[in-house]
Amino acid sequence: MSNNSSPTQKLENELLDIVADETMVERALLKPDARLEDLDIASADFVLVLLAIEEKYGIYIPVDNEISTIETVQDLLTLATQKIAEEKTE
Amino acid sequence: MSERAVVITGVGAISCHGAGADTLWRAARDGKSGARTYEFDRIEDQKVTQAAGVPPETVSENAVHVRPRMQDRVVHMALIAAEEAVQQSGLSKADFKDAGVIVGSGFGGANTLDDNYYFHARPHLDVRMDPFSIPKIMTNAAASWISMTFGANGPIYCNSTACSSAGQSIGMAYHMIKSGMLDRAITGGTEGCVVAGVFRAWEVLRVMTPTLCRPFSRDRNGMLLGEGAGILVLETKESAQARGATILAEVAGYGTTADAGDLLRPNPNGAARSMTQALQSGGLAPSDVAYVNAHGTATVANDVSETEAMRQVFGDGFDAVAVSSTKPVHGHGLGAAGALEAIVTINALRERIAPPNLHFTEQDPKIGFTPVTEARALDGRYAMSNSFAFGGINATLVFGRAQT
Repeated sequence: MSNNSSPTQKLENELLDIVADETMVERALLKPDARLEDLDIASADFVLVLLAIEEKYGIYIPVDNEISTIETVQDLLTLATQKIAEEKTE
Repeated sequence: MSERAVVITGVGAISCHGAGADTLWRAARDGKSGARTYEFDRIEDQKVTQAAGVPPETVSENAVHVRPRMQDRVVHMALIAAEEAVQQSGLSKADFKDAGVIVGSGFGGANTLDDNYYFHARPHLDVRMDPFSIPKIMTNAAASWISMTFGANGPIYCNSTACSSAGQSIGMAYHMIKSGMLDRAITGGTEGCVVAGVFRAWEVLRVMTPTLCRPFSRDRNGMLLGEGAGILVLETKESAQARGATILAEVAGYGTTADAGDLLRPNPNGAARSMTQALQSGGLAPSDVAYVNAHGTATVANDVSETEAMRQVFGDGFDAVAVSSTKPVHGHGLGAAGALEAIVTINALRERIAPPNLHFTEQDPKIGFTPVTEARALDGRYAMSNSFAFGGINATLVFGRAQT
């Protein structure tokens, strides 16, 4: 993540904005290794995040997949980025 | 008053497979998926397209006791199922004089409510609001219409406890008859929720599968929304025997507990206590249970939690229990689920066949067991049916094969 202007970085920044907006957690606290549990982000909050992702990127991500096992902010970013990429290639 | 044995002498159902309890059972036994493609004009940019809805013609062709302007389709379905169950029981109006009606529903008149919201938000369409909206939407409408249709003057209850509505209703009827409060009851659940607004509400909650409903499978990714109605006639074993009625099965136990934890995330301890309580209420041991018709929604959370609960209850004997979720067959009927699945479970006992769990591909390491993937012989006398609801509401019914 050395290149702040890479497409991945841009996408991750957009996703972090969504997570901050939807979970009402301060953007500055969303460090990659921060644990979602410690930020008080519960599985129910994922629903809001995933809905916002659907609105912005047009993809449906059910809560019933790998998202049920993620632990950190980076896990969330990685999963969302991967699903968005999968959708683009389909 | 001493406790009395409770039996089932009539069952009726309507589901995505058509009208009739036998139609439902044959679909479950033969492993027919109930998924259909839905593309709602009223949903912009719909992503999920699969649901196990009841086609309009299935309702219209089988409709009975219809009052066209006063009933939502959720009531039409309940009355179709109730008529079948009452006919099979051989009971007449006079027999139901003091009977109770305990019929649950999660959403009540969802179709009427959906139309109201839709047109209310679009005044330019100039559609008059249905003046009978209230009596059509109220969740107890089905219970009340059944009471009026069959002349049941005893108590009416309508459990609206989401996915446990029907399981709790049947359990409550069982308790009331067992304890002597009632001699007979018409019970079960009804749901008419495959309408645009409710479908979209489930879609945004993100628990519906975009592909196939695969309970307990490693690659499961959500539930298949269903609907329909299941109705049972319950009475004392004594009265059924006295009038020479055919006993379809015995209600052998019932348990219900609350997680008192998370609104949406299930807790295995709550589910395990529900199953244990059901066994204890019937004086049964875990080893008496040969088959479990699981709640098995094919969401990640339910299937892991339910499996952990079953392991707690059955211990080392778990491997000997046949387990399947039949939700890929009839969909998740929400407020009707416990009744549709009770009917499947009763027939499994009667025909001595454990129905298959469709679309299973591979074991999930977090679950560690393989459900029944092909219909198989079922010899034990007792079978269990689980219903677990949002809100942390667990209900477990145990049925026993009728002794001949």
